[in-house]
Amino acid sequence: MRSNRGACVLMLRLRLAFREPPLFQEGQAMAAHTQPQTDIGLSLVLAVIASSGAPLLLLDGELLVIAASASFCRTFRIDPATVAGRRLFELGAGEWNVPQLHSLLAATAAGHAEIEAYEMDLRRAGQEPRRLVLNAQKLAYDNEDNIRLLLTVADVTDARNAESLRLEMVREKDDLLRDKAVLLQELQHRIANSLQIIASVLLQSARRVQSDETRSHLHEAHQRVMSVAALQRQLSASSLDDVRLRPYFVELCQSIGASMIRDHDKLKLEAFGDDSTARADVSVSLGLIVTELVINALKHAFPDDRGGKINVGYLSHGANWTLSVDDNGIGMPETTDQAKSGLGTSIIKALAGQLHARIEIRDTNPGTSISIIHTETGILAVKSAAAPAVAAI
Amino acid sequence: MTFHSEIILVAEDQVLVRMAAVDMLADHGFEVWEAGGADEVLAVLQQRGAEIGVLFTDIQMPGSIDGLQLAHRVRRSWPRIGLLITSGKTLPRSAELPGGSRFLSKAYDLNQMMTQVRELMPAA
Repeated sequence: MRSNRGACVLMLRLRLAFREPPLFQEGQAMAAHTQPQTDIGLSLVLAVIASSGAPLLLLDGELLVIAASASFCRTFRIDPATVAGRRLFELGAGEWNVPQLHSLLAATAAGHAEIEAYEMDLRRAGQEPRRLVLNAQKLAYDNEDNIRLLLTVADVTDARNAESLRLEMVREKDDLLRDKAVLLQELQHRIANSLQIIASVLLQSARRVQSDETRSHLHEAHQRVMSVAALQRQLSASSLDDVRLRPYFVELCQSIGASMIRDHDKLKLEAFGDDSTARADVSVSLGLIVTELVINALKHAFPDDRGGKINVGYLSHGANWTLSVDDNGIGMPETTDQAKSGLGTSIIKALAGQLHARIEIRDTNPGTSISIIHTETGILAVKSAAAPAVAAI
Repeated sequence: MTFHSEIILVAEDQVLVRMAAVDMLADHGFEVWEAGGADEVLAVLQQRGAEIGVLFTDIQMPGSIDGLQLAHRVRRSWPRIGLLITSGKTLPRSAELPGGSRFLSKAYDLNQMMTQVRELMPAA
């Protein structure tokens, strides 16, 4: 007789009664139920198995199939008509004939064991093996002669594959991140070494040439390389893409001072600023501007071993910022001869333009103050009242 | 020009960088010896360790040990020698540096290197 639910349920004549184990002692349940109640209980059990969404088998002590859920037949592609009364190991094309499963079920039927999360591969011709997790238990039951086993079979292949795929992706991502960090460090190492070679060769050239003018040019070129090197050191010391400007400018000034100031007691070069940060590409431009302005001040503001000080400052407010280099030297020449403007001036103009910043020069008497100013709304007119002597480079 | 009685040992495998450092130190009156790796440095120190005042070494160099391991070994066996260590890689944590040594990030300024070497020179 088939279940009217269309499930592959085989009903055998069973003297089956269900009971709640904690409520009854062994043997009492039978007395409490009449024959019609037993049939109702059996029908209920078979209906539950038939309609179960999980692959389930009800087996007897000989491992003959009493009932199989529709999902079992569907999942493992077994014709429901062939299930009735056959041994588990004869199902399908014999793929369930696994000796270890056989012994485990036999031990469970004998009450010696219980199968908990037993894993096996179901191998069928022409198909990928499926990973199964099996649980089996002997049902607590009134009739010792009629042994009943409930076997649940979960196909975990897809879940396991998805999990191993996920783990593999996590591993791959970790590997990529590690590779990236190693590559980045290697790249920084190479950049540092290259800059070191360039700076060293320039300084050696400067020390060997006879002409004072050439030597001065080579020293300036060396200093420009060192200003890029200072930025590179800041970048490699931090894991961030942004550069903290104050430490960068402090280091830059130390570097310029070490190579271009002879008497540190007479001439001071210092950097001040807020806690601003800037992107690496912006920072390198700011650093090169500072380098040019400081070199310019050192060359022109303090002739004849004159003492004094040069201050580098950076302040920002939102997207607006001001970079300034102030000195208390002899001040600017009366007229600016554009035709004579050197490489330094060209570099400052080009970089300020790239940063969308304007250049302001003030005669601060004593000395000169040069500011590079970026305002979010673009290059605006300078407030004339606040800036009485503004010139453009 | 001042002359110094103690010798500076410069260990750097990159020959142009080494040449620049050696020239700079020599121009400032130091006697300078060169090495291209840690093994060479150790060989020199075994023979003439007592004459060396400062070892200026790169970390990344070919050989059985790197410059950092070299510096630790020198600190243990020749504790008087001043140690100046450089690298193009990230600054080692101070715990990784031998006691009393100094670190100079590449690309360093030769003038700053000079200053450091002078300060590390053992008192006569």
